[in-house]
Amino acid sequence: MAQLAITAGGAGPAHRDGPSRADEAPVPQRKRRTPWKSWLLFLAFAGPNVALLVIFTYKPLLQSLQYSLLQWNIGSATARFVGLDNYTGWFTDPATANVVRVTVIFTVATVAGGMVLGLSLALLLNRKLRGTGLARTMVVAPYVLSGVAVGLLWLFVFDPNFGVLGAVLKGIGLGSPDWYNDPAWALPMIIVVYLWKNVGYVALIYLAALQAVPRDLVEAATLDGAGPFASFRNVVLPLLGPTTFFLSVTTLLSSLQSFDIIQAMTKGGPLQGTTTMMYQIYQEGFATGRAGYSSAIATVLFVVLLVITAVQMLFIQKKVHY
Amino acid sequence: MNASPFATMNRRQLLQLAALVGGAGALAACGGPAVGEAGGAATDTATDWAAVTPAKEITWWSNHPGTSKDIESEIIKRFTAESGIKVNLVTAGANYDEVAQKFQAATGSSNIPDLVIASDVWWFRYMINGQILPLEQLAKHLEFGTEDFNTTLYNDYEFSGSHWAVPYARSTPLFYYSKAVWEKAGLPDRAPKTWTEFDEWAPKIQSAGGVTPLGLGKGTSWTAWWFCNMLWGAGGAYSKDWTMTLDTPEAIDAAKYLQTIIYDNKSAAVTSNDQVADFGAGLTGCTIASTGSLSGILGSAKFEVGTGFLPEGAAGPACPTGGTGLAIPAGKSPEQQLAAGMFLKFLTNAENTAYFSSNTGYMPVRTSALEGETMKAVYAKTPQFRTAVDQLAGTRVQDWGRVFVPNGDKDLTTALEKIMLQKGDPAEAFATASASITKSYEENVKPYL
Repeated sequence: MAQLAITAGGAGPAHRDGPSRADEAPVPQRKRRTPWKSWLLFLAFAGPNVALLVIFTYKPLLQSLQYSLLQWNIGSATARFVGLDNYTGWFTDPATANVVRVTVIFTVATVAGGMVLGLSLALLLNRKLRGTGLARTMVVAPYVLSGVAVGLLWLFVFDPNFGVLGAVLKGIGLGSPDWYNDPAWALPMIIVVYLWKNVGYVALIYLAALQAVPRDLVEAATLDGAGPFASFRNVVLPLLGPTTFFLSVTTLLSSLQSFDIIQAMTKGGPLQGTTTMMYQIYQEGFATGRAGYSSAIATVLFVVLLVITAVQMLFIQKKVHY
Repeated sequence: MNASPFATMNRRQLLQLAALVGGAGALAACGGPAVGEAGGAATDTATDWAAVTPAKEITWWSNHPGTSKDIESEIIKRFTAESGIKVNLVTAGANYDEVAQKFQAATGSSNIPDLVIASDVWWFRYMINGQILPLEQLAKHLEFGTEDFNTTLYNDYEFSGSHWAVPYARSTPLFYYSKAVWEKAGLPDRAPKTWTEFDEWAPKIQSAGGVTPLGLGKGTSWTAWWFCNMLWGAGGAYSKDWTMTLDTPEAIDAAKYLQTIIYDNKSAAVTSNDQVADFGAGLTGCTIASTGSLSGILGSAKFEVGTGFLPEGAAGPACPTGGTGLAIPAGKSPEQQLAAGMFLKFLTNAENTAYFSSNTGYMPVRTSALEGETMKAVYAKTPQFRTAVDQLAGTRVQDWGRVFVPNGDKDLTTALEKIMLQKGDPAEAFATASASITKSYEENVKPYL
């Protein structure tokens, strides 16, 4: 693209595109200074947004980094500098291994499960059948509900004594698992509820992507003898690559930051069986009041998210664009 | 794939980015705690209260314990009519923890209240953070009679020779039983006097009623509270002052007894969700719940409910107190504090204590209120309430390891849930909790005492 240039005199319109005339002496090009009015306009439009970002995103982020180096009881006007003690404390705490395990299981199950279920639902909803519109609405509806409301609702469903699920299981001769007292069942319960609430979002995005897949490519594959599965595997799925990449990033981030359903249903229990890193940040910061320690965990989670997202951007993104 | 935006950045853009980050850094340096300065409790500074004029308007943060918003509003109305001071009642959370979290987060800003709910597990943290005022001098100036408060309930808020809050909505755990199940089992119409007697009765309850004899609750702020009964009853304790004492044979025996009734005798079960709901639905024959749940249980149960003292252990009766008191924040002006003190005196006088208790089910915190006309009418209407009040005489102040150390209750709950839900080794579970609580005390409490 041609660069904007000004004549030696400084004023006048810039020459646009097209080769310079051979008989003209070459004019040294330099960038025109942005007029102050443009700067004011920029500030008027971008300033409020930048200010909000600085105040509500960057400031807390940096403050959290600062607090992670302090022993600070939340609410206290004073704190002690303890260096990296909060970090070493968290990495050497016997409870940390469990928190990391719960976080990994929850994240992998909700991201992978969400993608598979979401894509399956999108494939179903992409068919031209009667009632598809209603089905689409029903699939997406839970996503717009409040996480706390969803959690409270499912508390009743899973209740072993009074819940619908327990009654159904009893009806087929099975007993209800002790969802609330057994950590081995509590975590799957939370995963199921999270998936129920969020799978609609994945399905919605996949559905939009499926509708953008060129029909002629699928038809060409069919003419070449590809069956429905081969056509999906070799034509549709690769074309969904960018969507899959986008969803993998967004669902991973939201899964790692999940809080509302856990708070409403289990409060991290039983026996810390549903305490993810995100929930531990809340517990330590507000229930226990160790703001410095909580900030250290928040920083670790931030770094983990940053690394995972960077890896996704650097390595996976390359393979999905076409 | 697009190249990284940083790679194509020119000098000016780089400078702009640096300015943005630098500006955010400068902002980050604003606010937050003062690093390296001496902290700790507020001191009873020599305010000349006689020279202070009370503020015309104050704010009170409450969670309205026992759905008491209307009761609190009525008392405020009476106070305003008498003093001319307006009190803004703010719903600052659904429970004590939520109010505490908001209060902690608001400290240092101009948004703190003039009077705040201070529960048994929170007031001490407020105190060591320097967030609340010691009340002795203010009480003296206001001729605020504190000698009439129930001794245990008032002394719950004592540390370093000062009182940091006064009792308000106070409760104890109480033994509830189904009279219908008891009658079927041929048991006398009373709670078992001891845990040994409960063990004798349990098979009869099980066979006659077809129910789990005892339903136990779980979760933080609850499990380690009612377990005080078994622990103290066995002669053990969570801690002696700041030293954890969960390695004593008495403490281990208490935990083993808990496992025996759950796993061997099957005379007790830990609730899935809410032991009060289970009891109300007739799934269990008896349960331990707060006195604050009395009205709710009496209202929801479809059978006649009996109440009794918590069963005694080998070392005798044992019952902790709980609930909340009220504290005055230290960071307010003397005018606001004086007005808050005047309201506190009014709110907890004998008449209003009786009014509050009779409408909520919480303990009357003043001894003079116990036998007043208002409470006598309550006892006549709801005899079960009398049991709760009588049990108050045998209560004792809670162990510091649970209520004063930031993660004390959480660590003890984890240990007890391991013992109750997974039949974990009591010695091992208690050792883990003790180590964590001791570490937390050394890091989060000791430097501020």
